Amino acid sequence: MGGSGSHLPRDLLSEYQELTFLSKQEILLAHRRFSELLPKEERDRALLTRLPRRTMLLLPELRANPFGARICQVFSTAADGEGGLSFEDFLDLLSVFSEAASAELKSHYAFRIFDFDDDGTLDKKDLEQLVNCLTGEGEHSRLSPVEMEQLIQNILEESDIDKDGTINLSEFQHIISRSPDFPSSFKIVL
Amino acid sequence: MEDRQERDLGTQGDDTGSSLGRRSPSLFLQLPSNQTLRFRGNKAEAWGAALEGAAEPPEDARELVPPSVVGEEEEDRKPLRELPLCLEEKRELRLLQEQAASRLSGWHLWRAGKRRTLRQLRSQAGAVMSYAVMWKSTLRHIEGHFGTGIQSYFSFLRFLVLMNFVASLLVVAFVVAPNAAFEALHLNWTRHTSNTSANASCLHYDPTSHGLISYFSYIMDLLSGKGFMELTYLFYGYYQNSAVDFASFSYNVPLAYLLTGFFYLLFCLIWIVHRSVYCLKHSLVSEDTSFGSYSNKVFAGWDFGLMQTSAVQLKHKSICYDLRMDLEEEAFRRRLAEQTTKQRAFLYILRGLLNILVLGLLGAGFFCIYLATEYSQWLLGSVDSPIKGQVTLELLGAYLPSVVITIANLLLPIIFGVIVQLEKYPLSFEIKITLLRNVFLRLASLVVLLISLWSQITCDGDPQHPDCKDCGYSHLFLCWETSVGQEMYKLLIFDLLIMLLVMLFVEFPRKMLVTYLPSCPLLKLWGQQEFMVPSNVLDLVYGQTLCWTGALFCPLLPVLNTLKYILVFYLKKLTLYANCRPADRTFRASSSNFFFLLVLLLGLTISCVPALYSMFVLPPSKACGPFRGEPTMWNTVSSAISELHPTTQGFLEFVGSLAFAVPLFLLLSILMFYLVALAGTYSSVVKSLKAQLQLEGQDKLFLVKQISELSQ
Repeated sequence: MGGSGSHLPRDLLSEYQELTFLSKQEILLAHRRFSELLPKEERDRALLTRLPRRTMLLLPELRANPFGARICQVFSTAADGEGGLSFEDFLDLLSVFSEAASAELKSHYAFRIFDFDDDGTLDKKDLEQLVNCLTGEGEHSRLSPVEMEQLIQNILEESDIDKDGTINLSEFQHIISRSPDFPSSFKIVL
Repeated sequence: MEDRQERDLGTQGDDTGSSLGRRSPSLFLQLPSNQTLRFRGNKAEAWGAALEGAAEPPEDARELVPPSVVGEEEEDRKPLRELPLCLEEKRELRLLQEQAASRLSGWHLWRAGKRRTLRQLRSQAGAVMSYAVMWKSTLRHIEGHFGTGIQSYFSFLRFLVLMNFVASLLVVAFVVAPNAAFEALHLNWTRHTSNTSANASCLHYDPTSHGLISYFSYIMDLLSGKGFMELTYLFYGYYQNSAVDFASFSYNVPLAYLLTGFFYLLFCLIWIVHRSVYCLKHSLVSEDTSFGSYSNKVFAGWDFGLMQTSAVQLKHKSICYDLRMDLEEEAFRRRLAEQTTKQRAFLYILRGLLNILVLGLLGAGFFCIYLATEYSQWLLGSVDSPIKGQVTLELLGAYLPSVVITIANLLLPIIFGVIVQLEKYPLSFEIKITLLRNVFLRLASLVVLLISLWSQITCDGDPQHPDCKDCGYSHLFLCWETSVGQEMYKLLIFDLLIMLLVMLFVEFPRKMLVTYLPSCPLLKLWGQQEFMVPSNVLDLVYGQTLCWTGALFCPLLPVLNTLKYILVFYLKKLTLYANCRPADRTFRASSSNFFFLLVLLLGLTISCVPALYSMFVLPPSKACGPFRGEPTMWNTVSSAISELHPTTQGFLEFVGSLAFAVPLFLLLSILMFYLVALAGTYSSVVKSLKAQLQLEGQDKLFLVKQISELSQ
């Protein structure tokens, strides 16, 4: 861990501290981990580079996560929409997933992660894809179509307040606010 | 009927909605509700505009921002970090805010600056405090490998260690340290003797055994708390009934002893209530009983902290299992509701009979404990007992109540588990009722032990009994508080010992057998150890209840308990990593957290009863302890109050009298009724608002359909 590896200018550091929920140590650690994903020559320009999605998914925190690709997609500000993350996107990611972040912010981003087709609502296809992500890829662990139908029906009955067949952001935030497990499980710490 | 109609309309609306969405995306996107949805931070594409012909993404961040963000008063503004925007846009917003702030005049500017400094100080203090959290990295590691359910057990254990540590500091500071200091400094002790005439036989108590003492008896004394252990600060009997004068200040030892015991229990109560307030808020807010269990499991079900592939695979399996179980239970409930009356009556009769069986088993267990305690005291105390002089048998006799309690606590839960399978309750109720029965068993066995002790000390409450006539309590127990303290001490040590033995002789061999003989069918059936959180938490609660019960009679018990729990933490961590596999069924941490704190409070209530009873009713021993010579323990406090200033005295008497308590009780009841009525009103308002939202949604779809038809 040599010289310029974990160096951030102080004003930038204090700006990051103010704009995110991360502490100074966490920001420096994030910078170190981000630089380690880059090849050695490019480590000086870590703040300016944008890493492609497959490199980000090499991080142990995201590698095994079934939502890893979606997370990269949601936090990415790349113009091509391919899911590449810059260092500031990475900080945004860690800020939302940190322990100090508010439940409202977390639920907002959780909604975006679960919205697989990016249309602003969770409809039946989104929910089906979500359940399949949760239960895994194996043959035995997927639910049968009958079970899936019944499950989605139950979820919509519980969460869809205006009964339009989809769950929008406010309905999602309403149902999540009553779950005490959510803030502690929606957490990634380096 | 109505639900189905509404659902049909909903699905109809859904079809029209999605097909309309394809035809006229721009219309939907211009709705005000959709505008707020787009208030997020992706510069690339306006989210929700993934359809063709969508509106142009606004160039300026300013358009996206509702006016509340760049408001005048800093309190109304949400802190920037809480906005769901990307870092670049937050930076731009901050510039806007600073420009607005620079237009502020003198005092507002100063106030804004001070507020910012305060926020920075607070965040720095929070960073420093996070270093001081004990075992933080261990808990995080456990969470990553075994999930939040098992981590909740360890964080509960950490809470108990902290509480015991602070409480033991309290006790040591006010009871043990002053006594030790006064003795070391050879200060003047003024005795508090009251002139009550007492029978001479009650006044002499000598716990040391005279003559030749074998080496082995020291170990026996250490384990049973008798002999030389009684003459230490550990037990009640060693303290003096006197005050110490130094530097024009008189330290009243018995008063300090009593008040410390009282405040120790009060302090624990306040801390537990404070901690359970968070859990209570979440558990009680939900209006309906199911509170979205399916949505909760699907939306908040994934643990994003899991990193190991094996843990992730396990989580997949457990979520699948969980969802399948819930769906099956729902189908089961539907089938149950369709049963004929005859079948239902049969089921209820079966359940009634099994509950009676459970009660019978509990009663039998309690009776055995009662007999064991009586026999044990007879063996140790009476002159013509057959085991006097034989050290091993004496030790066994001393530990007989603990052994019987442990056997009952090991066997009966297994039987309850079998019974509950036959009762065919739905799964969630099954877990609750099993936990309830185990809790009842554990705490009630302690109560039975205390009752049998009481009946021996006070000769079954009969002061005219020949044994009790002389001293007011049984002459077999010349220093009865120490005997009670010794029982609690023995139970505590035995609890720790059993845990060690079970770990060494059951868990480690099981793991070794399963690893080295994988082909044996019997072992495959038994399987590897699973870390059962509920039973482990009940063990902790039981241990803590023992500590509270014995604290008045054995002041150093909180210190011992702290050491015991620290040891338990490391032992349980060792057994978790070495022997256990993660559970198949995920344990829901949050809803049970409150339940465990509730059980802890129940334990505290039960342990307060012996303490209060001994303070107010029972006569303290005349031969030992800081209250010798007083009619009751509370007498010390009343005599101390009578020495105070008359106004303070009058005030304290008023607070303690009925004239204060009854109006206070009435006031609290009125407040409670008001809050219940308020909650009922809120509930009905929420229902009507939900119905209104539904209608509004249908209106919106209808209008959009009309508009698009008209515009074509």
